[in-house]
Amino acid sequence: MNKREIPKGLRDLLPDEVAVKRSMEQKAAALFTSYGYREVVTPTFEYLDVVEAGTGGDIRKELFMFMDREGGILCLRPEMTVSIARLAATHMQDENFPQRLYYMCNVFRHVQPQRAQYREFWQLGIELLGASGIWADAEVITIAAKTLGEMGLIDFKISLNQIAIFNSLLNDSGLKEEDQNRIRNLVERKDLVELSRVLERLDIKDAIKESIALMPVLHGGLEVINRIPYAEHNRQAAEAIGELEKIYQALKLCGVIDHIVLDLGVLRGLDYYTGVVFEGYSPDLGYGLLGGGRYDNLMGHFGFPRPATGFALGLDRLALVIDRPQELPRRFLVGGTDFAAVVAEADRLRQQGCIVEMDVEGGSKEQLQNKLQGRRDYHLIYLGED
Amino acid sequence: MADYLTIALSKGNLLKPTLEMFSAVGLPTDGVDEDSRNMVFSYEEPTIKYIMCRPTDVPTYVEQGAADLGIVGKDVIEEQSRDVFELVDLGYGYCRFVVAGPEKYKGTAIKGFNYKRAATKFPVVAERFFRSQGLQVEIIKLHGNIELAPIMGLADIIVDIVSTGRTLRENNLVELVNIMDSTTRLICNRVSYRTKHEQIQPLVELIQKTVKRGMTS
Repeated sequence: MNKREIPKGLRDLLPDEVAVKRSMEQKAAALFTSYGYREVVTPTFEYLDVVEAGTGGDIRKELFMFMDREGGILCLRPEMTVSIARLAATHMQDENFPQRLYYMCNVFRHVQPQRAQYREFWQLGIELLGASGIWADAEVITIAAKTLGEMGLIDFKISLNQIAIFNSLLNDSGLKEEDQNRIRNLVERKDLVELSRVLERLDIKDAIKESIALMPVLHGGLEVINRIPYAEHNRQAAEAIGELEKIYQALKLCGVIDHIVLDLGVLRGLDYYTGVVFEGYSPDLGYGLLGGGRYDNLMGHFGFPRPATGFALGLDRLALVIDRPQELPRRFLVGGTDFAAVVAEADRLRQQGCIVEMDVEGGSKEQLQNKLQGRRDYHLIYLGED
Repeated sequence: MADYLTIALSKGNLLKPTLEMFSAVGLPTDGVDEDSRNMVFSYEEPTIKYIMCRPTDVPTYVEQGAADLGIVGKDVIEEQSRDVFELVDLGYGYCRFVVAGPEKYKGTAIKGFNYKRAATKFPVVAERFFRSQGLQVEIIKLHGNIELAPIMGLADIIVDIVSTGRTLRENNLVELVNIMDSTTRLICNRVSYRTKHEQIQPLVELIQKTVKRGMTS
């Protein structure tokens, strides 16, 4: 093995890239804090049982798994929401709810690496724990939209859905769980060709079939939610539709409605979502930027049932579409023959808020001038004889 | 300024029926020519761009968002397992994935292929099929003339795409198992579907209608 090789799908972040990442983190942290969210950090790896209890479904094929020396099966965290639910159930049972928490962490998935998809990537996000009701959802979605706005994105969209609409239609169909999962998967992947074939073969009410076939393509403003033929026969679906409508109205009041689109095909991959779900996109990137939603059953898996909602944003993807930050302030290079004088001058400038490097190699004025040739962001100060 | 809707077209035998379908739904097609040096064809009314790609590259362009829509065979989509939306079955370009081999295997139950060697240009489809049957079949990836492999003893059987079956017959091979049928599909980038919905959805509906009419007439 070449000693410079790193594991597939990982990457080094160089100073310019870290500067972009830090600037995004600072903007997000300021925004989250202004809404009362407080930062938490959880362990980089967890017991496999914990992660699987939370995410459910088929996540194991995307996990990095290993064993500790006591024989426990561990995995690198594939996302943060499960860990934060566990953290709250462990440490916050005596606190007042709702709790507002945020995080900025690296997460790990064993995926095929490609542009905008790495095996270690950075997520930041918020969790609003212990609050049910549409105002909580509206707060989280508003913060998601404002986060993208803070990062300098203008032309982005957030697609909104309430997955209980789809789930209660599926429940009403009387299909076996296996068939339900298959249909959910096809709608999620928008494989409309296979979906129509599968639906054709199934023995379920035509109105349900028609609704399921229509949902992946229903997309737009409030008008789309009246276009689901079967919904009025199903109380839960009708309630979910009513909720979606109220959230849409609430988001108007929150000032982010220009970015909101209803999209009844958004189901999100993870099994823990129970209500409103959403995804954020930029037209400049072929991959989603953020995703989130309501997960009222997740904390119950850790013995502390509480409603909850949140979102996570992929920093690596966002970095691909935002403009580079402004140039840094001017830097100074202070050199000279008398080290005490150099130190004193450098400290004086730093106290004024400047970025100051000291010439630690004892170069002559001419040498330092040559070094800075073409670097207009540097200003040279030379103390002493030339 | 309206954004261009970019459609990745498959060069080769899918191009002619694709352009026919495009004319039928009122999309511009004049000047589109795969032999031209030009690989990008832009139109202003409506604002559409076609890019001319090798069929196997179409899912890549669409998944990465370099094209919003793509026209490509299900066989290619299946082999590449790309994360794209599959919106319409266009019906043309029929072919099927089959397991084929020398005459002596005719009538062999599928478990009879356990521990055999299969040559193919489509290792993903082949591997997935045999594994789904609970079989261990050694997959040998080749880049062309797959029919040669059983003749020369490189493999026992092959997994390949056939449309009429003539090439198989000419090489004294017979079709043993039909793995799946394939036709041409309209695929879409996950994000474009949402950010350019106003451009894409009406077009998709128009194509669906045209395809349906074509099938019944």
